[in-house]
Amino acid sequence: MTKRGLCAVVLAVLLVALPAAGQQPYYAGKTIEIIVPFAPGGGSDIDARFFAPFLEKYVPGNPRVLVRNMPGGGSILGANFFAENARADGTQLLVTSGSTMIPYILGVPQVRYDPAKWELIKVNGVGGVLYVSPRTGVRRPEDLARPAERLVYGGISATGLDLVTLLLFEVLGLDVRVVMGFEGRGPARLAFERGETNIDYQTTPAYLSQVVPLVREGKAVPVLSMGFVNEKGVMVRDPSAPDLPSAYEAYQVLFKRKPDGLLRWKAYQSMVAAAFTFQKAMWAPGGTPPEALQALRSAIDRMKLDPQFREQGRQVLEGYEVLRGDTAKAAVLRATRVTLDVKKYITDLLRSKYQVRL
Amino acid sequence: MTEAVRAAVELFVNPSRLGMLAVGSGVGLLIGMLPGMGGIVAAAILLPFMLKLEPAAALAMVTGALAVVHTSDTITSVLIGAPGSAAAVPTMMEGHPMARRGEAARALAAAYLSSLVGGLIGALGLTLSIPIARPLVLSFGSPELFMLTVLGVSFAGSLLGKQPVKGLSAGLLGLLLGTVGPAPAAAEVRFAFGQVYLTDGIDLALVALGLFGVAEVVSLMARGGAVAQRTELGHGWWEGVRDVWRHRWLVLRGALIGMWAGVLPAIGATAGTLMAYGHAVATSRDRSRFGKGDVRGIIAPEAANNAVEAGDLVPTLLFGVPGGAPSAMILGALLAYGILPGPRIVTQHLDLIYTVVWSFALANVFGAGVMFAASPLLARLTSVPFHRIAPPIVLAMVLAAYQETQHFGDLVALVALGVVGYALKVTGWPRGPLLIGFVLSNPLERYYFLTVRLHPDPVDWLLRPGVMVIGLLVVAPFAWSAVRWVRARSQGAAPVARQPAGPATVATAAVLAVFAYAWWESRGFLPDAALMPVSVAAAGTVLTALQLVRELGGYGGPVEEEDELAAQDGGAGRRVRRAAGYLLSLVVYVAATYFLGLRWASALWSLWMLRAVARLGWPGSVAYTAAMVLGLELLASVLGVHLPRGRLGL
Repeated sequence: MTKRGLCAVVLAVLLVALPAAGQQPYYAGKTIEIIVPFAPGGGSDIDARFFAPFLEKYVPGNPRVLVRNMPGGGSILGANFFAENARADGTQLLVTSGSTMIPYILGVPQVRYDPAKWELIKVNGVGGVLYVSPRTGVRRPEDLARPAERLVYGGISATGLDLVTLLLFEVLGLDVRVVMGFEGRGPARLAFERGETNIDYQTTPAYLSQVVPLVREGKAVPVLSMGFVNEKGVMVRDPSAPDLPSAYEAYQVLFKRKPDGLLRWKAYQSMVAAAFTFQKAMWAPGGTPPEALQALRSAIDRMKLDPQFREQGRQVLEGYEVLRGDTAKAAVLRATRVTLDVKKYITDLLRSKYQVRL
Repeated sequence: MTEAVRAAVELFVNPSRLGMLAVGSGVGLLIGMLPGMGGIVAAAILLPFMLKLEPAAALAMVTGALAVVHTSDTITSVLIGAPGSAAAVPTMMEGHPMARRGEAARALAAAYLSSLVGGLIGALGLTLSIPIARPLVLSFGSPELFMLTVLGVSFAGSLLGKQPVKGLSAGLLGLLLGTVGPAPAAAEVRFAFGQVYLTDGIDLALVALGLFGVAEVVSLMARGGAVAQRTELGHGWWEGVRDVWRHRWLVLRGALIGMWAGVLPAIGATAGTLMAYGHAVATSRDRSRFGKGDVRGIIAPEAANNAVEAGDLVPTLLFGVPGGAPSAMILGALLAYGILPGPRIVTQHLDLIYTVVWSFALANVFGAGVMFAASPLLARLTSVPFHRIAPPIVLAMVLAAYQETQHFGDLVALVALGVVGYALKVTGWPRGPLLIGFVLSNPLERYYFLTVRLHPDPVDWLLRPGVMVIGLLVVAPFAWSAVRWVRARSQGAAPVARQPAGPATVATAAVLAVFAYAWWESRGFLPDAALMPVSVAAAGTVLTALQLVRELGGYGGPVEEEDELAAQDGGAGRRVRRAAGYLLSLVVYVAATYFLGLRWASALWSLWMLRAVARLGWPGSVAYTAAMVLGLELLASVLGVHLPRGRLGL
């Protein structure tokens, strides 16, 4: 091609492209579909539906944002669908939860997704609080070693978020009778209130609304928080329950030393990071155009300044910060990559103590 | 109580709240009319608007919608035999035969009136029980909840039909179907056959749509003509009103059963409605009309299904434990307003609770009132040749099925369940016990294991007063039936006519094969995952083997189709062959959807149906189909309903 021809082509491209880029934002007239791999009404669904109107408001071009529930296989089905079929043009996003990440980390054979291949838009976390019945005589973490009656815990299934609690029991060396089979954390909490179990955990939002009134009435005693993993990979206190010692501190009180380096501690901390600290993540498929990612991520930054977002988010996000995807991606992916010995420790524990075949 | 009055006054004098309530119930009525779509879709549609309103108006709107979705789902249940939701199945089982007799107006009027009264009783019950609801709910421990699920299953006992062995086996088949998916008490996924789709179990809405909806629509198409086989249609409306008055105590009992099923965890909305139905059958002296259009079988469950929704608000608001997906979505919306359900809500937001209660009551009056007035008009639909209205109905069912998980498996499951449902229908297998078994299978197993694990000493839980009282309720009807059976026997039983083994025997053999296979397969499960399927499949194998032997010997008893009018038409064999053809066409339809997407597949199937079966002219068929596809697009764009796309990207 001649030099002049090249110039003409460049000029033509610029003429066509520039006005389009200048006047029309990437998302103008488009519809964004947020895929939630859980049934309506669950935590991830509430999270997605909370973000949807703010994305409409702050993504340039004001796209329509719809939430689409694709439950099945404990979120594996929807995440697989996203991994295999999603349009990589920024119009299909996925929300994942801790229970999407646990099977990925454990290498469950049905999992056909790999978050490392996706682009992270935002992530926000949640904490958990462990509390006991006053009958146990436990007031502080050090009492956990000598409860007045056998500890009984009600869980959903060993391969879900309960795995984190089970690992915590291992770390602290507690002798707990674990009863699996509840439909959810709500019914498990009812069993605690009825006195059928005497040790329970709730995510911090549920703890603050449902359990704090019980604490005031003297029917429950908070012991510790599951902890929060900061961006340096260090466990700190739960920002929403700053008065409670974290599991890290509890270990030190009980055993008079730091848990760092212990295999079971490594397993616990990485699961806390993957399942709690980075619980609600929103992803775009790999290969999504940079301008789309930029529009979505800067919308996250801008909505955080919106007083309405802060007001409504106080309850939904419960004081946990929403992190922009590009800054948090490394930490999130680090949390999903556990070393082989940790993985083996977890699968051995599940097999020997909880009859789980993986 | 003063709070309750104040909330009511504020609701009634505030035009914006009243307006939002009307908008909400309008949306609820419209969504409820579409078979298979209910509270979840309505809540999803209203949620974005809710966040723009003040809390009380938003709550009025969404409560209004949820209060009436079960009111309008009666239409398709009665007129077409396609249950609008799983909870509408009893209404369909009794109301549809009435519609076929030309009594659609009577059935609808009775249904709406009992719906209305049931909803009001539920709202009243809520008002009275909110101060004491918390300790009351907490007094039900796992053993009591387990016994309640047993009680629920025992209600199937009154729905066994003329052949108790088949009825029992059908109930067991339902229990077995309910074990598909994750075991509640052990880390094992059962009967998934390597399909990720099945690892969460089979969806209740699909079971109702397939076993009942598809089966009924296919059977209507095979029969041809209009739904109603008699011409006089206008009468009966007033008759329905009188029916409700005559059975007013049944309305009350149905509403109370529904309300408690909603308040207590473990049972669930559908089971509550089915229990009310079972109760109506169990307490009637003359049971011969049930299943053939007995109005009592409409009144009790309709009174229950609105009260269930009211009762469900108790655990949602007071404990933050929603009983169903719609209330879970309300919970999420409340969070955004800074309203936290839980113990504190009674002290901090009591006015809002009563706003919800009164909105619920008012929406009931509004919704049922509108539908009640419209029922004579709606009843006329039953005189239209069914082939002409079949395409939009089938399309609506396919669309509703796809909204469950939005995977192609939904459509496969729908048609597969439809084939099974039709086969069971024509071979005299009662599907009522099957549905009860399916609905309660998971809670039964779950609460059994929770009970024995939380209370390792059996004496400790078996002697709890609540357990013994519910246990007595379970045993009493059976003891009574046994007494009656012995008495009847001493008077000499009627001789049984010999029946040659026919196509029904093939169905019995197939059910036996399913049980036997499940037994064999479940031996390999973890012990705590195997207990339920092994015991169910073993009992089922023995019972169906017994039935098979009797049928082969010619003593299986007559095959009674659930519909008495069918027997008048001599060409039963021809009808079944036609139905098989239509079922095959649905298989082709779904396969075409896989490649072409829903739009084109539906258009082609509808054109074929209208041209080749309904014998409409080309212009009419094309215009009708085009209007239908346009309606589909409208649903997709306005309601955000998702349409399955084909492999070819259409």
